[in-house]
Amino acid sequence: MSLLELEDVKKIYGQGEIKVFALRGVDLEIEEGEFTTIFGPSGSGKTTLLNLIGALDKPTSGRVQLNGSSIGEMNKNQLALLRRQNIGFIFQSFNLIPVLTAYENVEFALKIAEKGENRKAKEKVENILSRVGLGDMLHRRPNQLSGGQNQRVAVARALVKEPKLVLADEPTANLDSEASKEVLEIMVRMNKELNTTFIFSTHDPMVMEYARRLLELKDGMICREERRE
Amino acid sequence: MYLLKIAFRNLFRRRGRTLILSLILTLAVVFFLFMESMMMGLMDITFANIIDLETPHIEIGREEFFLEADEGNILPLEETFVPDDDMLMAINETQGVLGMTKVLDFSADFIAGRHEFPVRVRAIDPLTFGEVFRNQEYLVEGEFITGNGSGIVIGERLAEFFDLQSGDFFTLRFQDRRGAFNTMQGDVKGIVSVPHPDMNLGTVFVAKEQATKALNLQEDKVSQIMVRMENRDQALTQAQKLGVEFAGRDYQVRSYRDAAELLVALEAWGYLETYFILALFLLVGGIGIVSAIVLAAIERVKEIGMMKALGLKENEIVRVFILEAAGIGAIGSLIGCVLGAVVVYWLTFYGLDMEAFLDLGDLGVPMGDKLYGAWNTSSFVLIFIFVVAIAIIASIIPSYWAARKDPVEAIQHR
Ligand SMILES: Nc1ncnc2c1ncn2[C@@H]1O[C@H](COP(=O)(O)OP(=O)(O)O)[C@@H](O)[C@H]1O
Ligand SMILES: [Mg+2]
Repeated sequence: MSLLELEDVKKIYGQGEIKVFALRGVDLEIEEGEFTTIFGPSGSGKTTLLNLIGALDKPTSGRVQLNGSSIGEMNKNQLALLRRQNIGFIFQSFNLIPVLTAYENVEFALKIAEKGENRKAKEKVENILSRVGLGDMLHRRPNQLSGGQNQRVAVARALVKEPKLVLADEPTANLDSEASKEVLEIMVRMNKELNTTFIFSTHDPMVMEYARRLLELKDGMICREERRE
Repeated sequence: MYLLKIAFRNLFRRRGRTLILSLILTLAVVFFLFMESMMMGLMDITFANIIDLETPHIEIGREEFFLEADEGNILPLEETFVPDDDMLMAINETQGVLGMTKVLDFSADFIAGRHEFPVRVRAIDPLTFGEVFRNQEYLVEGEFITGNGSGIVIGERLAEFFDLQSGDFFTLRFQDRRGAFNTMQGDVKGIVSVPHPDMNLGTVFVAKEQATKALNLQEDKVSQIMVRMENRDQALTQAQKLGVEFAGRDYQVRSYRDAAELLVALEAWGYLETYFILALFLLVGGIGIVSAIVLAAIERVKEIGMMKALGLKENEIVRVFILEAAGIGAIGSLIGCVLGAVVVYWLTFYGLDMEAFLDLGDLGVPMGDKLYGAWNTSSFVLIFIFVVAIAIIASIIPSYWAARKDPVEAIQHR
């Protein structure tokens, strides 16, 4: 059984007159440990697809099955539990909690995922932050860090709970090419070191170099698939 | 733990907003503590004066007599009684009794020169009067009723009204037991100035022996038995107990509160007014909190979305907002309690010159010119809890509204 299975997934926004067909039937299977890139122009449905995979939204029709359970049949709280245990998110605009330091942002995510006390929490948080190269900036708040550093905190936050799946929606869109490279390289390394499954989207051809499995999305359909080694 | 940390830090994120809302609540708290302290101070001194000078902790008399007295009618001589030994024993054995005296109150017209003025004459037993009342201590001229001789003691305002000094001549005109008009004449022995306007003007003291003679009453007849207790709480409970005991015998046992219905009503009115204004303040504060949370929710859509993506449930996000509101409530009422403590402390020590505001004497409220506040620690605790609770209640609905924001919409980069 694959980690993730999508079967004829459709997503239609809006009701009545104005309907937007964001996804028009996507079939997809992703195995544990894969490093997948979803490539496509703006408006092609990348965010919509990642939201469905991330159990943030439900499909209009079709089936999204994560780790053996189908998200279409779950209620809000069950979805929240699914996310907290299995999925790490990285967003285009970082979305760190501004009143928490880098360390606290990461620890917060860990605490949510692992209820109860964990003696190793401090170790884990410091370890992951130093892996993304922020070992000496633990106690800075997001507004005291650069964009690239913010996104690296976000990567650490997504990884600290050792999720099965990390979803990154255009993680480099707000970064300059230098910072983009750093973040992508960290993601590649983490994929190798921790065997975490990554799915990230982009519309930047430069970023595609890092892809090992490439899916091209166009008008809500997967129009091309490619594997590289 | 983290939710609390986030909520706490969010308070400092919009310092201005937090401060303004807190200050509204601070105002509410200070106002309440001030009013409560003044009200309690007023009631305390008022009841203290009533107990010392007019109606002590407990009074016992005929129902009909009290009825007429409360209406302000002519006091009925036929409702006087001779207390029997059982009754006196029962009172004496009541727990907490400090002293007991018998009085005979009747209505009369006070006449001096060409003027006359209706008064209540209180005929007292000079031996035991001091066990219960303190009127004696307020003597400003002459001497108090000491023996059974003739002569009266009047209040300062009555003296001023008739321009009398001790030693001056007076006439009291009244109807005796059979309805025949009679007079009592003699010298004003003394003048008292008590912090009780009615007593100062409308009450005249005379020795009981003189009065019973003039009224053609049997010698031991009294209108009320007056009892002094150790404290007011005891007065209320023991009055009730004695009341049950005397129930079958046509007597009424009243506590100082029963006797001062008007004041009790005034007290209730004062509290009502205080609560009403407090409610207004809190309404403003509550609306402020509602709008603050709505604003915060709009500002933090992305953050809410992020928290949901991290796997927080809606009710956990609700908690963040409610904690923030509680924080505003706590800051506001804490500052309020500190400021309130300063104000109330000052009031209990230096008092407030009431002449500057209004002459409460004219309202017939028995108190001095200066009003001292009362310190009541439980008021601080109560108002603190109450304001925090109001803040929390005000935040519940907008917090749920905030937490229901769709994560998809929230996260979308625009
Ligand atoms: N919440 C929404 N309501 C209505 N239409 C939406 C919504 N979200 C996305 N869309 C539409 O769906 C299509 C796909 O959007 P999106 O998944 O955001 O694409 P991408 O991330 O590739 O830019 C677009 O046409 C977009 O306008
Ligand atoms: Mg997008």
